[in-house]
Amino acid sequence: MKKYLRVLSNTWEEMVTYRLNFVMWRVRTVLQFLTMYFLWLALIPKGTILFGYSQTLMLTYILGTSILSAVVLSTRTHEIGEHIYRGDLSIFLIRPINYFLYWFSRDVGDKLFNISFSVVEIMILLFLLKPPIFLQTEIIFIALAILATALAVVLYFLFGAILGMLGFWSPDVWAPRFILFILLQFFAGSLFPLDILPKSLYEAFQLTPFPYLLYFPLKIYLGQLPFSTISTGFLIDVIWILIIALFLQFIWHKGLRLYTAVGR
Amino acid sequence: MAVISVSHLQKYYQLHQKEPGFSGSVKSLFYRKYYDAKAVNDISFAIEEGELVGFIGPNGAGKTTTLKCLSGLLYPTSGNVFVLGYTPFDRNNAFLKQISLVMGQKNQLWWDLPAMESFLLNKEIYEISDAQFKKTLKELTELLDISDVLNVQVRKLSLGQRMKCELIAALIHSPKVLFLDEPTIGLDVVMQKNLRDFIRSYNQKYKATILLTSHYMQDVRELCKRVIIIDHGKILYDGLLSDIVKRYTKNKFLTIELEEDIGREKLEKLGKVTNYQFPKVSLAVPKALSNKIAATLLDSFPVTDLNIEEPQIEAIIRDVFSKQ
Repeated sequence: MKKYLRVLSNTWEEMVTYRLNFVMWRVRTVLQFLTMYFLWLALIPKGTILFGYSQTLMLTYILGTSILSAVVLSTRTHEIGEHIYRGDLSIFLIRPINYFLYWFSRDVGDKLFNISFSVVEIMILLFLLKPPIFLQTEIIFIALAILATALAVVLYFLFGAILGMLGFWSPDVWAPRFILFILLQFFAGSLFPLDILPKSLYEAFQLTPFPYLLYFPLKIYLGQLPFSTISTGFLIDVIWILIIALFLQFIWHKGLRLYTAVGR
Repeated sequence: MAVISVSHLQKYYQLHQKEPGFSGSVKSLFYRKYYDAKAVNDISFAIEEGELVGFIGPNGAGKTTTLKCLSGLLYPTSGNVFVLGYTPFDRNNAFLKQISLVMGQKNQLWWDLPAMESFLLNKEIYEISDAQFKKTLKELTELLDISDVLNVQVRKLSLGQRMKCELIAALIHSPKVLFLDEPTIGLDVVMQKNLRDFIRSYNQKYKATILLTSHYMQDVRELCKRVIIIDHGKILYDGLLSDIVKRYTKNKFLTIELEEDIGREKLEKLGKVTNYQFPKVSLAVPKALSNKIAATLLDSFPVTDLNIEEPQIEAIIRDVFSKQ
């Protein structure tokens, strides 16, 4: 699939031309990380345990979300809605290329760029802050965490693509995305691990797709989930992916029939 | 078999009416009155391989909508469309590899990258071999005379250069069927001519079937033997451009120069005087009689110069539309 690799490399090159934009985005991410880092550092002094988390585990969790956000939450799908509404979709419909794989390739390009920066940042932060870090040694947990991350990438892409489909009907594609982003910050566990919430609320959350974006892969890495929970988690995760993928396909076909290829 | 065949194609757009002003906007949030806009209303035609056909009509006549149906962008409301034996809306890869749609105002080039990157992406999209890609690229850049700017960021190119690059991107896979929607829009006269020359040679060189829409009659007159005239979603005329002249012109125009001011009345007997400004006089005369009348004029009037002119195609086509 050389065409998708080419899309990926073009995306990469394009990002280089918008360096300043990108650097600002990274600064924002680092600042967010530092805020959460120092907050939890103050809340859990060395040797104490809060909400079942030692300082080491909590700081690893916060560091982990920072890396995982670069992998899972960096995306280009926010451009889909406008792309469709403005009629740029036409360019793809008349070529032998899959529209979703095109955007997924752009996503991957974007992610690789973000990850490479994220890794360097983390190295620097580790060097400066010398935080206590929990290193998982069990291969099985690492492998399952990677698998869960891969599913999270797909899940988040599908979310973004579905919101993009709004472009067939309305130019207002930005507001719904903003709300999703706020929800994600909270429900996916990017600010704090979800299991510090009341048990009933926590269990209800497990049925939504959100925890599977960040919280689930991280908890697997930390080795804090029993295998029974991991397997139920994967099951719910996959069911959500299937539901959303089918729904995406449904509205895509519905949208295409309405599509008027405006703006010539 | 015809490369393009369209039978009883209809495409309606659902539009909603909005009353003007803020209250109208609020009202339209809750209640919308929909109506069908008949962009294309039952048209049929067929185009053979290698033909270069002009598709003309005023704004909103349904030209672009038809092209979009032919290239698979739009789902027809009813009727059948076949291009190269495929149903366009299925968007079969084998079909897509053989067609191209060039829209004068739509960019496919990556704005922040050199045009070459977009060409290379298309090379992969259409799965063109290295040798074939090199060959086609060389031919196209020579035809369009643009080889020097391929590695410059697209946004730094002039409009003309960008249009040429857009064309290369649209043709790099040597499509057999080409839909050109207003290809010369916004270009200066020199560029328009270059582009026309290019389209003509592309048609001849690759035996490509080309359907083109344009507002500029000159595009059509210079390129197309056959034209399809469309208005309000209906075909008004489909045939040779030369025939339309025969069929719709009843008059020829005689322009004469007089030696002395003999007055309008004497000439009115011969034909309709459309302009009398001594020494120049224009007469509209029945086509069949034009030679005879010209002879009479030369014989019995003090005429120093005489010209017989066909009416302009623009005028004829305006006539066709106004008869509707």
